[in-house]
Amino acid sequence: MNCEACHLKELEVELFEIREVLRCILHTIVFHRALGLVRPKEVDLELFDITYVQCGEVELEKKIDEKIDQFVCWVEKHPNKKSQICLSFYEVKNKQASWFSNKIERLYWEQWYIYLNVAQHPKGHSNKSHHAKVVDPGEGALEDRNARSAALEASLREVLFQIIKFVNEKKDHVPPIPNLEGAVSFPYEITIPSSSDSAFGMDMIKRMLQTGHPTMLS
Amino acid sequence: MDFQANMQPELGKLEQIVHQFLLKSLHVILDSRVPSLHQHDRSGDLPMGSRVRRSDKWFNLALGDRPAALDNLSFWHRNLMDQMIIDIILVHEENGSSVETVIERWVVQYERPQVMAPQTGDISGSYKKTYKKSIVLFRALYSHMRLLPAYKIFRKLSSSSHTCNFDIIYKVSSFRDPFSRAEDVVLEEYSFTPIEATPGRLCVSVTYRTNLSDFNLECSTSLPTQIITDYVGSPLADPLRSFPVSEKGVRATSFPLRGIAPPSSAPLERPHSWTSGFHKAAPMVQNQQYVGSPPVYRAPSKPYDIPSSPTDSHGIRIHNYRMHNRHRSTSYDEYQLSPPFSPSPSPSSPTFFNGGVPIQTRVRSETAPVTIPYPMMGKSSRTLSPNLSDHSRNSLPPMSPKRNYASSQESPSGIRSFRKLESSRIGELHTGVTNYAGQKIARDNKDDSGRFSGLLSSSDSPRIGFSRSSSRLSFQDDLEDGDFSCPFDVDDVDTPDVQPSQSKDGKNVSEIGSTSLPMCKKSQDAAVGVLVHMLRTAPPLRQDSSCYSSHSVKPEPEGGVTTASGFFMPRKTADALEELRSYKEMRDLLLSKSGTRILNKE
Repeated sequence: MNCEACHLKELEVELFEIREVLRCILHTIVFHRALGLVRPKEVDLELFDITYVQCGEVELEKKIDEKIDQFVCWVEKHPNKKSQICLSFYEVKNKQASWFSNKIERLYWEQWYIYLNVAQHPKGHSNKSHHAKVVDPGEGALEDRNARSAALEASLREVLFQIIKFVNEKKDHVPPIPNLEGAVSFPYEITIPSSSDSAFGMDMIKRMLQTGHPTMLS
Repeated sequence: MDFQANMQPELGKLEQIVHQFLLKSLHVILDSRVPSLHQHDRSGDLPMGSRVRRSDKWFNLALGDRPAALDNLSFWHRNLMDQMIIDIILVHEENGSSVETVIERWVVQYERPQVMAPQTGDISGSYKKTYKKSIVLFRALYSHMRLLPAYKIFRKLSSSSHTCNFDIIYKVSSFRDPFSRAEDVVLEEYSFTPIEATPGRLCVSVTYRTNLSDFNLECSTSLPTQIITDYVGSPLADPLRSFPVSEKGVRATSFPLRGIAPPSSAPLERPHSWTSGFHKAAPMVQNQQYVGSPPVYRAPSKPYDIPSSPTDSHGIRIHNYRMHNRHRSTSYDEYQLSPPFSPSPSPSSPTFFNGGVPIQTRVRSETAPVTIPYPMMGKSSRTLSPNLSDHSRNSLPPMSPKRNYASSQESPSGIRSFRKLESSRIGELHTGVTNYAGQKIARDNKDDSGRFSGLLSSSDSPRIGFSRSSSRLSFQDDLEDGDFSCPFDVDDVDTPDVQPSQSKDGKNVSEIGSTSLPMCKKSQDAAVGVLVHMLRTAPPLRQDSSCYSSHSVKPEPEGGVTTASGFFMPRKTADALEELRSYKEMRDLLLSKSGTRILNKE
């Protein structure tokens, strides 16, 4: 079973934009991979003029939001870093009694890598500006922000198109749809960088070993 | 042969999948582009607890109610291997006139090679793979539709708090009308990866305009509804008045006879002249969709000279005119205070308008209904209930049950709706102008004889028709004392007593109209006479498909959408006669009533 991987274009985001961006991307990917009966739900982003589609399942939303929360926590602890989130779909293989573990083997058949470059601009660009600047950056800063925002919107749109393109082109590796209740037909996993860098690296290496697929660490 | 035999069930399943594929893609596309087709909340949220219909479960994408147009698809799209071309057309203003531009063209096709390649490999169960891949494709399609530029326009339009000066209509056909070179430059294409559907494959592609900011698309918030307290036609205002109004109802044809003037008249101006009267009649509920009835009333001609119409509301009307089916509410609230005519579409009128329910849009087939709404006329005014005829009922909502008018007033509305149909139909036939659809559609229709290339769109023309006539009648009421002309007269408010109806057949009707008689009774006679005359002089009903323009033509009733010509012919004369009979009946009834009324008044 070949594992397809899709590396999405890197996005430069600010702290306050992470949630929306991640939600958009993750939900979009899952929507295309949750092949059970779904009632699509359109969601408009607040920060951008983009509408994405969700599966409309409450549980899924919760899970994704949880992961995003965790990620945001991590980012706050590790500011100004490039980070990566991996959304993987796997098949559960029968337990194989083996000498090292009883755990169920997961066969990953698809992985999506989301690259975010979280930039925190120092000069009061963030929403919470604690300092009252004597010299107000003024319009220049605002323009910058607008430009960044517009660029991010364009990039996000590109990413969405990228997802759709990938989904369209590669269909053969999708396993048969199990007859499950609910929209989410395949088990998935969202991997975020863990609390320490090295662990994160190890995590990715582990994954590499499991899937035998090269990953790109930003 | 064994091989073949084995393939049969497979092929059957595959065929079913292909058929559903076409339906689903049409559903997805229309759902995401044409706001008028859906009544439910645009947020896309279906009530979670609601059971998903079996037909909706196809491809594991539950979209909700299917637009009625889909039901007709199977009628015309007989050959699975035909291309299904869905044009999303933006109707907008340009230099004062209404212009239609194709902003997206979706092509869905089941390609199948002419020569059957030898089936190698394991084909059994291949339909399952096809199905699975189709599921994925529909997800991608659904998302993609929200990323294309046209989606923003769609959202603007669907937002119910705005009245916009543009609209989106669609057209489904099985052949392509090539784009002009100029258009080609601004178009981009995107193709979804074809899905293997042995022995063929399913292809979906789209050609779309990348830049839609060139169009002057504006939306404005409509003004809050205004209650016109001195509304004439309201029974609340004056219960006795409802009668004369209803009398006027007989002049059904006057309105439709207005005909369709050449499309040069700015659409926005259309309602200008006649909706004023209408608006006098009815409070302007926001998003009065029927305000604009392009097909029915093309030429702005003279402004409706109804004094009570506040000029400032013209602006609203103009905007609202554009709203037509955007107002998703199927209620006829707007008619509550309007003249008694319930917006009952004539049975044949479904092609033109759906009694106000957006979802009623139907695929217009070439067997489009005759302009003569026959069944409706067959009933006496008393029985002119909303459910005029079965087939028209199918997709059309019951006529405004909210009316608190005497039933006698239903007939006028019935006639009105008929008239609406008439106007749009006949007008078009005569002038050969396709209203909204424009020449393109006309051409399409012509070319695709025997196939459906009708314009599926929702237009409120019928409703407009009625409000218009309603207002007219109410206006008439003002003049009172039977001092009005033939009920068939539609507008021309200048001389209330002599109201040459501006029929499409202009002179004919106006001649008759000009002989308007002061007395109620006589005018009704004249009205009937006018109608008969009109019917007689009407050109062959099935002129060409060009009459099926988007707005003007409401889809045909469900039953009517079938093959064409055979359906048409028999109805001509018989229908006309039947209509005449029904008119006479109505007239008699009205006369009897008027007799009563007059007594009451005195």
